[in-house]
Formats: sequence, C-alpha cells, structure tokens
Amino acid sequence: MQRVPVNPGTVEWAGDNPGIYLRESPNGPWTGLGIFFRVLYSAHGQGSVMIVLGDPSETTEFPDSRNVCLTTNLELTHYLIDNFIKRFPSFRDQPGLDTMTWLEAESHSSDGDMVTSWTETMHATGCTAQMCWNDLGNPFAVEVGPKDSATGAHDMYSVFLEARSASISINGVPLTGRVCERLFFGRKMSTAFMAVSETWVKPTLTEE
Amino acid sequence: MPLSSPIHPGQVVWTGENPGILLKEDPDGPFSAIALFFRIYLSPAGRGTVLLLLDSPTQCRQFPDGCNVLLHDNKNLADYLLESFILKLPAFSSLPACESLSLVQIDHAQSEGDPRSCYSEHIKAESLDVTLTWDGLGTPTALELPAELTGGKENELYTLLIESTKPSIQINGRTLPGTPVERIQADIKTTTAFLYFSETWIRPA
Repeated sequence: MQRVPVNPGTVEWAGDNPGIYLRESPNGPWTGLGIFFRVLYSAHGQGSVMIVLGDPSETTEFPDSRNVCLTTNLELTHYLIDNFIKRFPSFRDQPGLDTMTWLEAESHSSDGDMVTSWTETMHATGCTAQMCWNDLGNPFAVEVGPKDSATGAHDMYSVFLEARSASISINGVPLTGRVCERLFFGRKMSTAFMAVSETWVKPTLTEE
Repeated sequence: MPLSSPIHPGQVVWTGENPGILLKEDPDGPFSAIALFFRIYLSPAGRGTVLLLLDSPTQCRQFPDGCNVLLHDNKNLADYLLESFILKLPAFSSLPACESLSLVQIDHAQSEGDPRSCYSEHIKAESLDVTLTWDGLGTPTALELPAELTGGKENELYTLLIESTKPSIQINGRTLPGTPVERIQADIKTTTAFLYFSETWIRPA
C-alpha cells in the first residue's frame, strides 16, 4: 500500500471489528464464526452489530440453527453484510449467513481491560450472544491496500491484538470448536483477534 | 514509501478517539478557549476518558477560580497523556494554563449525536457540567502521518479527521467565547475544531 499522508479515497466506516473463528480440527471447516462491529462513523450511521454463525452450514432459523445477527441499526447492518462481510473469506460461502435470524438488540455492553481480556455482549428478546477474547497479545498496527484487505477492495488501517483463547456463546451455551493458528501476513496468529480503531477507505479509481 | 509488510514494525503507543475544539476571539490573537478530549482504548496507562479544558488558556487560574482543568476517570492515564502527549504539542506546552492544571475526577461521560452532522460529548465532573459540540461537520478524511507531520514529531499517526465549522464549548450552560480558525494539516486546509476517530499513535521501529 502506497503511504500518503492524506488518503484521497472515500471513507466507508470507522470503528472496531473484532472476530473469533472456531474449528474442531485444524484442517476442518469452521464450526463457529463470530464477528462484532462497533461503528462510530459510516454513511449509514452509528451502531453495534454481532453476527454469530454457530451452525455455518445450516439454513434453518434460530433457535433450530444457532445463526443470529443482533443489531442496533438495520440499515448499517445490511450495508456491512453486502459490502464487507460477504467478501470476508471466512464468511462469504457460509449458507448460514443468508438465512440467519435478525434480531433488534435491546442492549449492548463491553467489559474488560483490553490488556488481558475483552468481552462484547448483545441482548435481544430470547437471545443473548457473547464473544470473549482472552490471553491477549501485544497490540500492533496494520495497514493494507486492496490487494491484501479482507474485502479485496479497500484500504484499511487498524490495531490488532491476538487472542490466544476465545469463546462464543448463545444464551450461555458455548459454541463448539477452538481457535486455531493461521498465517497473518507472515506472522503466526490465532483465529481470534481484537481489531480496534479501524478505518476502511474505498480507494479512488487511480489507486485501484 | 510503502511498508514492506502490512504489519507496521513500530510499537502502538495509544489508540482511541481524540476530538478537540480550539477557539479564538481574534484570528490573530491567542486561543481563548480549548477543549481536547480523549477516549483511550489502549495505552501504557490503561483505558479511560480524559478532557483537557481551558477556559482561560493564557492565565494561571486554578479551579474553581478558573476552569483550567484536566478531567479524568483514570489519573495515571491523565498524567501519562499530559506528560507524553499534550505538553509535547507546541500549541499547549507554552500555555500558562497548562502550568497550573487542576485534576478533577469525571463522574460520567457520554457521546451523543451523529458524526455525519452534529456530535457531542457530555462530561460531568464534580460541579462541572461540560458539553462539547461539533456542528457543521464535513466529509471524513483518513490521515496517515509520518512523525515529522505531527505536532510532537516523535510518533506516526493514523486518524480519521472530520472537521467542524460550528463547534461550541459549554461549561455549566455558559458558552465560551471564540470561533474556530483555519489551520493546515498535512497540506489540507481545515479548522481548529475536529473529530478524530480511530486514532492510533505508533512509535517508529
């Protein structure tokens, strides 16, 4: 990514975007996926969104499948799913993403010190979803261009912290699977991460 | 120069939000009122909220005679930001008010509004009820500044700038006098009132 002091692109959104991806075996399919957004700025307003796919390959509704989307801003959530989440490699081919049950969140809370642990909890009628990141590593800054970004289309600035252990639960019942190791730009990292102070920018045409 | 890897080799110093309002009564005179707000997610001194509030920047007037205060919910963080960040900015280090700041504990802080149009921070601390408002908000711009383009010239910076043309600082219902003035940041013309979101300071490797 070419480093320029003033990015000429269009800012899409800014906020936090941590995730937890679980598998039962290192080479198996994802058995539990969770991603959280706290958006401070976007063209579709502010809001918090938590998507949990406890049964990523299932297409039935909650509670038959544990696939839920809890949100404080429906318009923002549609925008994030269509333009970001559906492009993220771990989510884009998951049948549960299209059929998950949408729930309007009644409350949202964060807890932790972001040094050792962090927890996000969203509550809707009949559903409390929680994501916990533990055993956090040192923060490091990341800047990627379209070639390396999760969408394949954006510049992105962020601060990452690896979580060496993590869990996702729905109504107090943890999803199966555990975090695994992956290569993150040449660095071994787990599949659970805090990602805070993110800014996503749509590059100008000349940059793409 | 592009980085050799998307992972920055430097050390994250702190990350969070850092909006501010600097007002003047005379465009050629000193600042008449200053508010610099910090919502810190991660730093060597922990998390927390800090507000540098100066109602008389050119005077040494301690609270409650004057309102030159450092409001905080984490004293270690307030001390850390004052020494390692605020006083390293030329605009602040020479201010008489910064020599006699009173530290006051924040009881409650909450943001409100929409950064597409009008955004506020409300802070209650002892007898102080402070409202910072950024109105007339502009188009956001992502900045990635090398150390030499920052105030302190020590650390690199990622931030999201949203300028405000109609800001205000209210203390217990009293609006402080002054208006924002023009400033240049990284060769772009902006104002002395700004939202800074997704702000990260990085010590170069």
